Amino acid sequence: MSTKKLSIQRYLPEQEATPYWQEFEVPFDDSTSLLDALNYVKEELDGTLSYRWSCRMAICGSCGVMVNGIPKLGCKSFLRDYPDTLKISALSHFPVEKDLIVDMEVFLDHLAAVQPYLITNAAETDEPNRQTPAQLEKYKQFSDCINCGLCYSACPQFGLNQEFLGPAALTLAHRYNLDSRDQGKQQRMPQLNRHEGVWSCTFVGFCSQVCPKNVDPAAAVNQGKVESAKDMLISLFKG
Amino acid sequence: MAKQSSYLPRLTRTWWLKHRYFKLYMAREATVLPLVFFIGCLLAGLYSLLQGTESWAGWLAFMAHPLVILLNCLALAASLFHAWTFFELFPRVMPLRVGTRTIPASFIVLGQWVGVVAVIALFAWILGSGS
Ligand code: SF4
Ligand code: FES
Repeated sequence: MSTKKLSIQRYLPEQEATPYWQEFEVPFDDSTSLLDALNYVKEELDGTLSYRWSCRMAICGSCGVMVNGIPKLGCKSFLRDYPDTLKISALSHFPVEKDLIVDMEVFLDHLAAVQPYLITNAAETDEPNRQTPAQLEKYKQFSDCINCGLCYSACPQFGLNQEFLGPAALTLAHRYNLDSRDQGKQQRMPQLNRHEGVWSCTFVGFCSQVCPKNVDPAAAVNQGKVESAKDMLISLFKG
Repeated sequence: MAKQSSYLPRLTRTWWLKHRYFKLYMAREATVLPLVFFIGCLLAGLYSLLQGTESWAGWLAFMAHPLVILLNCLALAASLFHAWTFFELFPRVMPLRVGTRTIPASFIVLGQWVGVVAVIALFAWILGSGS
């Protein structure tokens, strides 16, 4: 079995105030994911390494790291695709707590701010809430988000201003606004209309490139701009 | 917010030099610079037209200067590049539907280029029949 070098950015605040790079050599074959490699490091080489993971199948969204400066899911990246040393560090634009673990609180706050759930005027009933395939199709792509936060690490606007609601939150808002069962659009629009809402986006588009689930958050955010412009025009006429 | 023990590296001014993708984005945004020059030329032309024959002739001479021609060629290339990026992004921002079907993005992109060619042809025809 051949081996590959990993260069991992370590941050252990109790021992050292600044992060430093540490190299590891791990065995790999065609099926070795980066997450497998990190597990190998922790089990065989250095038990102090900290990182997050759970599902190891691109569903839980917890294993995001930077690989050579690009946000990636550890379980969906394979060592075979990297000819040289892999430089691994914690997700960009989030405060790093320890090694590859970041504090995602800002991200979770932004998600919560857009009220990402069905808001209906109708009273609770036991009746099923029907939807046609065409109605589902309208928002389906945007509902595949696994909240991994890779798009936030790819977004320079979020890097410059943490108040920016950011790709995933704005996508989620748009996803519910497009849902035929939802009536909460008017409650969500004020968040989108803010400067830190859709208008902070300059369509860099890198978020959509790195998204592991093909959600295309950049498209959702910019469709949100169209909705926001309409909403502001309408309120202008209403006075 | 960041806790005492956490660290958060700030984005440097050169963040966009890190990847090819960001450089391409900056190139798209920078297309505005030669376009500003071109618009300046147009406005100067209008102004000199109002000033009379002499200043109009001066403007024509200015426009014929190789450097000005070069800059305006650059502006043309920049606007075509910008149009290309814009046309590619458009179907993602405004997905068009007919009935329950979404029109394929490639169709919309093609439609926009057909529009560009039509406008160019129209102008060529107007200018051609004018002379
Ligand atoms: S939009 Fe994509 S990159 Fe962003 S959090 Fe959702 S799944 Fe991750
Ligand atoms: S471990 Fe769940 S997404 Fe990678």
